[in-house]
Amino acid sequence: MKTGLQRHTLNLVAITLALIWVFPVYWMLNSAMLPNRTLQSFTPTFVPFGGSFRNFRSAISDGSFASALGMSISITLIVVFFCLVFAFLGALAISRFRFKGRKSFLIAVLLIQMLPAEALFIAQYKMMTSLGLLNSIIGVSIIYIAAVVPFTVWMLRGFVAGIPAELEEAAMVDGLSRVQAFMRITFPLLAPGLVASGVYAFLQAWNEFTVALILLPEESSRTLPLWLRGFVQASATRETDWGEVMAASTLVAVPVIIFFLIVQGRMTAGLVSGAVKG
Amino acid sequence: MKKKLSAVAAATAAALVLAGCTSGDTNESVDPSEDASAAAGANITLWLMGGDTPEALREYLRTEYADATGGTLTIEEQGWGDALSSLTTALPDSDNTPDVVEIGNTWSPTFTTVGAFSDISDMYQELGGDSLLQSFVEVGKVDGANYAMPYYFGSRYNFYRKDIYEAAGVAVPTTLGEFSEAAAALTTSSMSGFYIGGSDWRNGISWIFANGGELAEVQDGQWVSTLSSPNSVKGLEMLQDLYSTSSLAPATESDSTPWVNINDNESTGAPEAATIIAPSWASCCIGDPIELEDGGVGTQWNDDVFGVFVLPGVNGGAAPVFAGGSNIAISAASKNQEAARVLMRIIFSETYQTMLAENGLGPANLDYTAALGDNQFAAALIASAADSKLTPAAPGWAAVEGSGLLEEFFGKVAAGGDVATLAAEYDALINPLLNG
Amino acid sequence: MSSPVLPPQRTPEPAAVADWSPVARGSHVNQTPEQREAAVKAAAAARRSKRRARLLPHWLVIPAVAILAVGTGYPTLWQLWTSLHEYGLRQQFGQPAPFVWFANYTQLLSDSQFWAVLIRSLVFCFVAASITLLIGIAFAVLMSHVGKGPRLTLQIALLLAWSMPIVASMTVWTWLFDRRRGVVNYVLDMIPGVAMNRYNWLEDPLSFFAVAAIIVIWMSVPFVAFSIYAGLTQIPEEVMEASALDGASGSQRLRLIILPMIKPVIAIVMLLQVIWDLRVFAQIRLLQDAGSSATDYDLLGTYIFKLGTGAQNFAGASAASVMVLLITITISWWYVRKLLREDAS
Repeated sequence: MKTGLQRHTLNLVAITLALIWVFPVYWMLNSAMLPNRTLQSFTPTFVPFGGSFRNFRSAISDGSFASALGMSISITLIVVFFCLVFAFLGALAISRFRFKGRKSFLIAVLLIQMLPAEALFIAQYKMMTSLGLLNSIIGVSIIYIAAVVPFTVWMLRGFVAGIPAELEEAAMVDGLSRVQAFMRITFPLLAPGLVASGVYAFLQAWNEFTVALILLPEESSRTLPLWLRGFVQASATRETDWGEVMAASTLVAVPVIIFFLIVQGRMTAGLVSGAVKG
Repeated sequence: MKKKLSAVAAATAAALVLAGCTSGDTNESVDPSEDASAAAGANITLWLMGGDTPEALREYLRTEYADATGGTLTIEEQGWGDALSSLTTALPDSDNTPDVVEIGNTWSPTFTTVGAFSDISDMYQELGGDSLLQSFVEVGKVDGANYAMPYYFGSRYNFYRKDIYEAAGVAVPTTLGEFSEAAAALTTSSMSGFYIGGSDWRNGISWIFANGGELAEVQDGQWVSTLSSPNSVKGLEMLQDLYSTSSLAPATESDSTPWVNINDNESTGAPEAATIIAPSWASCCIGDPIELEDGGVGTQWNDDVFGVFVLPGVNGGAAPVFAGGSNIAISAASKNQEAARVLMRIIFSETYQTMLAENGLGPANLDYTAALGDNQFAAALIASAADSKLTPAAPGWAAVEGSGLLEEFFGKVAAGGDVATLAAEYDALINPLLNG
Repeated sequence: MSSPVLPPQRTPEPAAVADWSPVARGSHVNQTPEQREAAVKAAAAARRSKRRARLLPHWLVIPAVAILAVGTGYPTLWQLWTSLHEYGLRQQFGQPAPFVWFANYTQLLSDSQFWAVLIRSLVFCFVAASITLLIGIAFAVLMSHVGKGPRLTLQIALLLAWSMPIVASMTVWTWLFDRRRGVVNYVLDMIPGVAMNRYNWLEDPLSFFAVAAIIVIWMSVPFVAFSIYAGLTQIPEEVMEASALDGASGSQRLRLIILPMIKPVIAIVMLLQVIWDLRVFAQIRLLQDAGSSATDYDLLGTYIFKLGTGAQNFAGASAASVMVLLITITISWWYVRKLLREDAS
């Protein structure tokens, strides 16, 4: 379909853009290996020659990393799971059925995202204390799921709508039940959409800190972003160790990358062609 | 809440009258052992701001509290930048409020006037009385009753490069006018004679104070912003002049990390500033680079290169600088009032106050300042703190700080705007916030 | 909407789908008698469960509705209530909150700063969202046209950028644009005749927002690119191959096949991007920490934050939030209606 030269050029463009986009990430890694004084130098150090893992060691030395990691993983997995299930069901309803209240649901879900969140913290706090969910994984998860579901519903709706219902019908004619048809035909086709939404939900829950700050005031229940913020605001009587901040940031980013590497195959694997032929 | 507050106030007034009658023998109105027995086994929480209180001190508090009551003291650290929202939500919530809480001294009036803290006037004498740092006691008072007490104080003084001053033949200035001249003489295209961010109001207000100005005053029972008073304008114009001749810092910079500029930069081998003004603890991070044991790079103070002096006043002496530090109070919503009082006693004990001082934090009780040591830093800290001033004890002061108006105003002054016009403009913006 | 090459697949009509009558539509495939029999049975079963099916969609949306009601319903109502009362720190500490009608709103609307911030936010949102979308679409198309190696490289690069904690990415970006030790000035300064050493990007509001836009775009492109790429992978390869055989050029394919097919995804991504860029908060606040927090550098998010958390005027902040909600609805209304109309057709 394409000449070799065209393909080569495009490949080159893709890799160049990748390098540009990844540069700040590289800079984080680079800085994580360097001492504070070098970071304050007027001449940038592009390669961390003579650097060390000292910053990483000191970032995890006080032991609070493990508990924050545990909190973050629990919250994030809960959010991703429930968000995808709820949103998937919702998206299915609005794209495969017409029903009373459908339009209001669509609009409500859109509108909810338009309200700025900066002034909501008092209400969120009041609600969670009255429910006895302050400092709990569930309390924060409820707010996060509610924040991510609207987007995910609309996103998945786009994907469900993109899959011809005829495919399911054909499968039903072939003797599959409706649920079977859906699970075997539509669901696999939705995988890219689910993965894209899942990655989004994961990142939102993983990196959020303003709600967490209010709803998880106890040190023992802090999440990774709050742990990280602790380094930046470390102390008024001690200089912020930026190398350590960058090392801590790197540690926070690693689980996301692992998560993506696990799911990325789903995003691209031979999807549609086989199903259509079926 | 209002009812409760005034009832408490009335009871306190009665207690004070009683205390007066018994010729100042305050021990009769408070019985510490009573609190301790009522607090037996109570588990309480203390919120500390930032990492300023070292771990050894926290450990001391936990141990002492456990010994006194048999209960557990949990210490939670709150970041300075995020504390306002946490305090706003948690303090009124009796189920989750910290029992004892450290707050920025300038926020004290705001939280005290809305009834966030318990009246502890009856403990005042016991906790140190008139030996306590009075400017901090004042911001924690409402209608003569004590709600928030000083926790620790810092101060601000100048760090300078002895080597550069000597090379340029500039002597350490002794008046504020000389300071401006010295700074201007030292300034080159790549080095500020005096490095101060244009929006750095916490340091900038020293010039207002030094010229006899105030940030706000009570007029007819109402707080009024006084940036445009003649003395304030005089100070601001002096600051504007100093900034334009001697500081290469951006007009938008506030007081983040000025000390990085006085150290030699790794790439040029020269500093960016001959003089800076910084909180007293900045000496931690000023000096020659050294290799640390764990492979990192730190700084080592060098008396041949670096020195300190107190910001001089208009006519010599010390200029009144902004008194940084914290207050500490018992949350009114706390269900463990007695236990909280036990903790307050531990904090204001001689041992703990001495420990604060030994760690370079100005102790709330001035009887123990000797423990700060007798080096140049301790001397400069004590000398500058003696004349230091706090921001106005107006109920809405936290709102003024939180709104960022002061950074904005000082930034515009530094950028060369007309001081009198700007001052009048920002007085009008600040006034509605001041009275809460 | 018709194409010389191949009619693009339309969004299936939900009404028909809900009735779910396979017999009427069972002509796609050559059916054996057994299959036909099964189909008839299925149709009968479908009729029996019709009533149940009518209620099914309601059951499906219940979880989403419930979590929204709990997670955002109460806070939103509280915000509406607060915006009509006097609510500051005193009220937070238990004093009564007098009802003040629309005083908070009128105060806000008569504040020239609010209008300045609003207009600034709208411009910022428009610029950032449109550039993000263009780059995102370009990346998605590029990903579907390159070999596996480069595609994965680009995807991982985008994901790495996306996965960076916001505190970290903002710190790195402010370093990159630092006036004295930033890489940007360092590199620009090496160009002969350009003196950028010590140029302060964050001092002038215009360049401050240019930097903010670069950062926001950098952070948002991965999401847009991934979503649209996911949409692209849904397009059957046969469709693309058939169109190529029919002699459609690359741009024709893009315009006539690809774009219509991924339209639902683009539409929602665009709307979300506009909403998010209008209420961008954390990036601006953290950039203000490095630059200036003066009002000239505010967008709606930081303005509301300063009004609420900063100045403890929670009622004013709530009123401002509701205003932003109304404004967002107003500017996106034609678009939402379009979405709904397309949805209905």
